[in-house]
Amino acid sequence: MNAPKEQLRREYEGRLRLLVPGDAAELKRLPLLELVPPRIRDSVVAKIRPYAHFLDFAPGQVVVAAGEYSDSVYAIVRGAAVVALEPAQPVTRRAQMKGSPPPKPAAASAAPGRVQTLGAGDLFGDRSALSRFSVSATVSAWTPLRVLRLRLPALRMLTAVAPELRRTLDQRYRDETLSQQLRRVGLFAEVDEAAIARLREQAELMSLSPGQLLAREGTLADSFYLVRGGYLKVSVDVGGADLAVTYLRPGDFAGETAILFDQRWPFTLQAVEHAELVRLAREDMAAVAGDQPRLNDRLWQEALARLKTRGAVARNPVASEYLQMAIETGLVHGESVLLIDLTTCTRCDDCVQACADTHGGQPVFIREGKRYRNWLVPTACYQCTDPVCLVDCPTGAIRRSVGTLEVTIDPATCIGCSNCATRCPWDNIVMVETGGARADGKPEEVAVKCDLCRGRAEGPACVSSCPHGSAVRLSFKDMDKVRSVLR
Amino acid sequence: MRIVAATRPKKPRVFAATLGVALLLVALHGFGLSRGRFDPGRGLGLLFGVVAAAGYVFAAAYPWRRRASRLAPARVWTQAHVYLGSLAFLAALLHAGLARPQGLVATALLLLSGWTTLTGLLGTALQKWIPSRLTEGLRVEVLLERIEELRARLVADADARMAGAGEVLSRHYRQELRPKLARPMPAWSYLIEVRAGREQTLEPLRRLAGFVPAADKTRIDDLTGLHIEKLELDAHLTLQRLLRGWLVLHAPPSGVLLGLVAFHVFTGLWY
Repeated sequence: MNAPKEQLRREYEGRLRLLVPGDAAELKRLPLLELVPPRIRDSVVAKIRPYAHFLDFAPGQVVVAAGEYSDSVYAIVRGAAVVALEPAQPVTRRAQMKGSPPPKPAAASAAPGRVQTLGAGDLFGDRSALSRFSVSATVSAWTPLRVLRLRLPALRMLTAVAPELRRTLDQRYRDETLSQQLRRVGLFAEVDEAAIARLREQAELMSLSPGQLLAREGTLADSFYLVRGGYLKVSVDVGGADLAVTYLRPGDFAGETAILFDQRWPFTLQAVEHAELVRLAREDMAAVAGDQPRLNDRLWQEALARLKTRGAVARNPVASEYLQMAIETGLVHGESVLLIDLTTCTRCDDCVQACADTHGGQPVFIREGKRYRNWLVPTACYQCTDPVCLVDCPTGAIRRSVGTLEVTIDPATCIGCSNCATRCPWDNIVMVETGGARADGKPEEVAVKCDLCRGRAEGPACVSSCPHGSAVRLSFKDMDKVRSVLR
Repeated sequence: MRIVAATRPKKPRVFAATLGVALLLVALHGFGLSRGRFDPGRGLGLLFGVVAAAGYVFAAAYPWRRRASRLAPARVWTQAHVYLGSLAFLAALLHAGLARPQGLVATALLLLSGWTTLTGLLGTALQKWIPSRLTEGLRVEVLLERIEELRARLVADADARMAGAGEVLSRHYRQELRPKLARPMPAWSYLIEVRAGREQTLEPLRRLAGFVPAADKTRIDDLTGLHIEKLELDAHLTLQRLLRGWLVLHAPPSGVLLGLVAFHVFTGLWY
């Protein structure tokens, strides 16, 4: 029996017992819920309850840590919290339970970062939850703290019925994040501060539901859109068929042709899943582009590239087939998807053997999965752009280090709660027995997933060990490469 | 056309380079003959022998390809194994002076060389032919180790669908179809055509559709689907076994060949 793990597990299970849907009466008393019109408040509370939990923290306990992925927004009910805005050291591994006192790294205590305090009624976590970026600052309890944790479905329901809440969240995003996000987009990288400030004020923030149309091909193009969360399909109508041209992911944009050519939309834009966007009116964007020659050049480059792709798809509809497949199957989320060409694969299992050799005898993928034409998509982690498996890991065992592709699980701190495996939409994380036993007598399990053979100089063993070159890894960011490999 | 595709080299440049080296070896042999009497133990004859022995030693190291993937990916080792192994056989032939060698060991060596090269090339052809046939001809993709489990599940599924079926269909299922579903039926014909025999096998079931009540017609459709799946499992079983089984013809004789090469070199050096 692994004593530290057992301690982590006990803490987690204790917390889990407390994690019951929030009490309806207590929910209704919250200022947040007062923003909902009284006539629908009861039904809204009933709908959000399964996604709303009250949590209590002792002073010093961590609510969310920088670097984590979260799908929740937190509202302080009682007490005060402290936000470490500039952590002295990036958090690399947190072998502790959320809510337990944070370890005290020497460097952190020697050089404390800037802090900000939050009080009753304050919200936090909304931007990372909506944009699906990692949490930028660690929030811990300053005094005994009671927070309401609202998961994304609840937040979406609330913002849909409470425009005031929507405005508040948008304003916070506009004030604190939008400038940075615009700067991160290559298009605006060289735009001066004044122009960014103008755009920030003029921007409208909007949300789309899965399947919702943003723009239809042929309609008047009056806006420029920047994606800040989720995915959008870009398609054209060719002979009555809706052909996918490309897709937009966080940081991508659309509408440059509207600004440059004053034309109608050359394609249809549709949300593949919940998406968060920044909208800029055509006139506003055109005015800024007029003052910023570099921005104008980038818009032209982008417009030409996009029209070229559009033309290629219209001429060769088959080219869009793989993109359509990737959107439908979720492969678009993948930063490194393992694919096996079945027309050359001799089913020798060398890939699985090599994987097992690299991972101490335990293969971390299964040579079974969906098949598309002659390509097999095995049960192997896609290393998603926004990995939902990272949300809710109670010990922080599953992580993606900043600037890397691979999402990894630390077996030393994984307590086998299976949260990550349950959350993975593609069933690419499996629970395996370690051979040990838990304190309650049940077999001990850990979550296992592909880690791209981290640290292996030759790259993933499955690819380098395939004797026929049938195994490939692709990022669905680069659709040109996808098309050339999968043809 | 498919056979042409199966024999087409994956890397035409590597194939051309190997062909070039083969021609060079033959030309060297011709040059050696033109200079006088050919001796396997001296000059060019000895060089061919060294090339052949080195080629066989390299080819025999193929099982270590995964460990050597730091030097080159496994597919490069596979290509090197095939091409250098073939060149080694040519070098062995030239070493023997393109004539029947003297002595039992030398004869056995040449015969084993021919056998391992032939079975190696046969395996290469099978590895190119079978995967493409499995993928293009069948809808099912399955791990060899799971075929038995899937077949059992298929039978259970068929049994469940047959609950409450009419007498005619029940009897046919019990006497004809179920035994076929329950046991593995590998067949060589799948090597030529992965859907071989499908129409004839399904014909009795189709004919039966005219003699059963309407409710059983749906059952017949379901059974047809399950039977097709079973036939595909049989094709996978046959061909995936073949993909692994051909190695029995190649690997053990290769081991013997390597031993004989060592003996041959040792005796050559000693005497």
